[in-house]
Amino acid sequence: MTNKNEFDVIIVGGGITGAGTARDCAMRGLKVLLIERHDIATGATGRNHGLLHSGARYAVTDRESATECIEENKILRKIARHCVDDTSGFFITLPEDDLAYQAKFVESCLAAGIQADIIDPKEAIRLEPSVNPTLIGAVRVPDGSVDPFRLCAANMLDAKLHGAKVLVYTEVESFIMEGDTVLGVRTVDQRTGEKAEYRAAVTVNAAGIWGHHIASLAGVNIGMFPAKGALLIFAHRVNSIVINRCRKPANADILVPGDTVCVIGTTSTRVPYEECDHMHVTPEEVDLLLTEGAKLAPVLENTRILRAYAGVRPLVSADNDPSGRNISRGIVCLDHEVRDGVKGFVSITGGKLMTYRLMAEQAADAVCKKLHVNQVCKTAVTPLPGSATGSVEEVSRKLWSVPVTVQKAAAGRSGDWAEKIAMDHPMDRSLVCECEEVSVGEAEMAIRDLDVHNLTDLRRRTRVGMGTCQAELCACRAAGLLAKAHGCADRARADLKDFMNERWKGMYPVAWGETLREGEFTQWIYKAVLGL
Amino acid sequence: MKYDVVLIGGGLSSLVCGISLQRTGKRCLMVSGGQNALHFSSGAFGLLGFRPDGSAVERPLEELDKLPANHPYRKVGAAKMHEYVNRVKPFFASCGVMLDGDPERNSWRLTPTGTVRPSWLAMSDVTLYEDSVVSIGRKALIANIAGYLDFNTAFLAEGLEKAGVTCRLEAVALPEFERLRTSASEMRSVNIARVMDHDQVWKKFVEQVCVLLRDEDVVVLPEVFGLQDEHVLEQIRECIPARVVFVGTMAPSVPGIRCQSALKTAFEQAGGEFLMGDEVISSEMDGERVLSVRTANLGDTVLEADHFVLATGGFFGRGLQATAEAVSEPVFGLDVDAPEERTQWYNPDFFAPQPYTRFGVHTSENLRAMKAGKEMENVYVIGSELGGADALCEGSGAGIAVMTGFKAAEMING
Repeated sequence: MTNKNEFDVIIVGGGITGAGTARDCAMRGLKVLLIERHDIATGATGRNHGLLHSGARYAVTDRESATECIEENKILRKIARHCVDDTSGFFITLPEDDLAYQAKFVESCLAAGIQADIIDPKEAIRLEPSVNPTLIGAVRVPDGSVDPFRLCAANMLDAKLHGAKVLVYTEVESFIMEGDTVLGVRTVDQRTGEKAEYRAAVTVNAAGIWGHHIASLAGVNIGMFPAKGALLIFAHRVNSIVINRCRKPANADILVPGDTVCVIGTTSTRVPYEECDHMHVTPEEVDLLLTEGAKLAPVLENTRILRAYAGVRPLVSADNDPSGRNISRGIVCLDHEVRDGVKGFVSITGGKLMTYRLMAEQAADAVCKKLHVNQVCKTAVTPLPGSATGSVEEVSRKLWSVPVTVQKAAAGRSGDWAEKIAMDHPMDRSLVCECEEVSVGEAEMAIRDLDVHNLTDLRRRTRVGMGTCQAELCACRAAGLLAKAHGCADRARADLKDFMNERWKGMYPVAWGETLREGEFTQWIYKAVLGL
Repeated sequence: MKYDVVLIGGGLSSLVCGISLQRTGKRCLMVSGGQNALHFSSGAFGLLGFRPDGSAVERPLEELDKLPANHPYRKVGAAKMHEYVNRVKPFFASCGVMLDGDPERNSWRLTPTGTVRPSWLAMSDVTLYEDSVVSIGRKALIANIAGYLDFNTAFLAEGLEKAGVTCRLEAVALPEFERLRTSASEMRSVNIARVMDHDQVWKKFVEQVCVLLRDEDVVVLPEVFGLQDEHVLEQIRECIPARVVFVGTMAPSVPGIRCQSALKTAFEQAGGEFLMGDEVISSEMDGERVLSVRTANLGDTVLEADHFVLATGGFFGRGLQATAEAVSEPVFGLDVDAPEERTQWYNPDFFAPQPYTRFGVHTSENLRAMKAGKEMENVYVIGSELGGADALCEGSGAGIAVMTGFKAAEMING
């Protein structure tokens, strides 16, 4: 097993599940290869609320998921402190809702081990002034927000620190099979077209909704149910506490504050599998999100919408539920040898961002069992890079020479890893992104350490271009840094065009008001002035 | 207060119109919100750079009859277009803005990303080229200010290398910029230009460039010089023993801001009054006549006028407003040409022509605004507030502003 293309385990998929599984396997001493066809966190991982569920949302309808959520909630607060914002959450009852549901809700929460305190509506308004003032009931639960990009990058980084090899922009074309045994994968590099083969005793399918396709390459059918969820990001953090509706889970009933913005969502619509790569938000979805969102926090009606986006939940079909709302968010770990007679192949799917670590643990357990490796999971007690030492404030203090906002932003994003950001030279402190306070040093650290190949990757690592201006200034600056780092301006220029298109994709569904103004300005700058 | 003309908006079209009117004896007041498109200019004006198929236009005046019937140039009329085109350079020169270029024939300019774009007339920062393969020299020294990210030297160098120019990149660090750098968001073109102007810091910069210069025959610098006085550009060209070419930066635009302040000064020197940082919030009408307007800052003071010129721009300038339901004109509630269905407003491809850029206030043939289907007697609409043109894809933004500015002034003068 000395060949560089031979591994103990190959993990397909660079979302949070794949990253978590790679970390877990690598920490148990396995030789790990992770393969991702795009960048990390491009699928459902980067297209959700960023809600650190308390589990309360599922307490009444899905006890198993609720219990998993609260346990993972407590773990993430420890191991991924730098990715978590402890906002707390409300479940509010509006006049149109049945207040009787509240009692059932609280009872179910407590039964699942979730703290749930009924508070006076007036007290709720005092604590969260943006909440709909007509509310007739409020329950406080330990919800929070979590940055999925940061969380995914931290898992990926830790996997690499434990020896895992990560290949991004590499697609699995087929499996190397011998009879009914999976021996490895044949891949193609998306950028160069170069083909390669990698072998391992076990291959894990952690490709989210695209796992349907990966499984089919091994002749296995997983009944995936692609459920599209659309969300809107607003340009201000209007609420500081997560606001949910205290009723059976429905459309657009969660408002989550995250960094400088807040997010309303989601819808749930079954979409054809073929469309999963081309999600766009419809005007009807935008209208629904706005109408329902304004019921949680009326100020949203007059708040600028930054962008609209949609992800696809990798649910596994259970019954004939047209929206997918009733399918369990529970974890599905399939040993295909037991299920389908295909050896050396495991699928980990279902679940959710909140339970990624538990999913990874189950997948790694399955892998270890196959490899006859007797190592226990340590991910629940081992902090991720960024949360390993000290508090965010402590790290900020260490970066004392830097302007205070840049410090906070960098330490907030990178945790103790922020110490690796070059800040000594005045040039390192120049700002690339003014909205999100991203410095040259931070961008260069991401390019160097975090597998950044293009601007969109850089955005996922640092929030470049995610602020109120939606990249009109910073994209061009960041493209200059990438041109320097990669030594190719032509590629950076093409990349800049892709990036602007990607930004516009989230803007056009909400292109009115300030968003259209910003769009017109950005188009003027990039086309007329810069001549792209 | 009573004026002959109240101009709403302080951008290029309004200034051109206001100066023309004031110089012919009309008493004008201009209400300006502050920033306008000149602040984001490339330093070059476009009259008509591209056909709808994307091909470059060489002689804009020969393309006029191919434009759609509701295009602002069709409303100005072919005869007037020919006349105005040759009036532009002397007009701007009289305001202290020297423009280069052949009024009847397009040239090319180098963009900040190293590509070329057709251009009509250009401010003295911008070098115009006859050919689309720009010939700036053999070897170029591209000199930036250290830590300044809005001058994208890597892109520029590659564009030039493709045109056969060997490039060397250098960054000059001056202690004068340390203060800007401590607040990193301050490293923007205009702030740099202010430091360059102060105490002639630009001379120190140029000295450093001269030290760095080896055998290069051309020196490329960012457009961050001569914010107060464009003669600095000439002095820089004299100090450096090589051809000096200035290239644009990310917005805001130093030449654009210099041009805006020169035109504003010309307007005021001619006797025009300027209300800066104010906006019209209400109006009084009698049938198809606007009698007066009020502004946010003047409170109850009523501004009466015989004529009103609306030059508040497109969406960015807030001349047009879009909600999820409709597009409207906020000052007078004028008729707007825009489809109701918002899916018709945009193209999902960022770089494709965007339908919303063609939206604008509906006017009659002589630029008078329409409201509820009727022609207003004394409201003229000019510049990018007008519909019917995709100024971005056509490369016609400045041309439309100047031509319709001249035209409205003539209409008002009778």
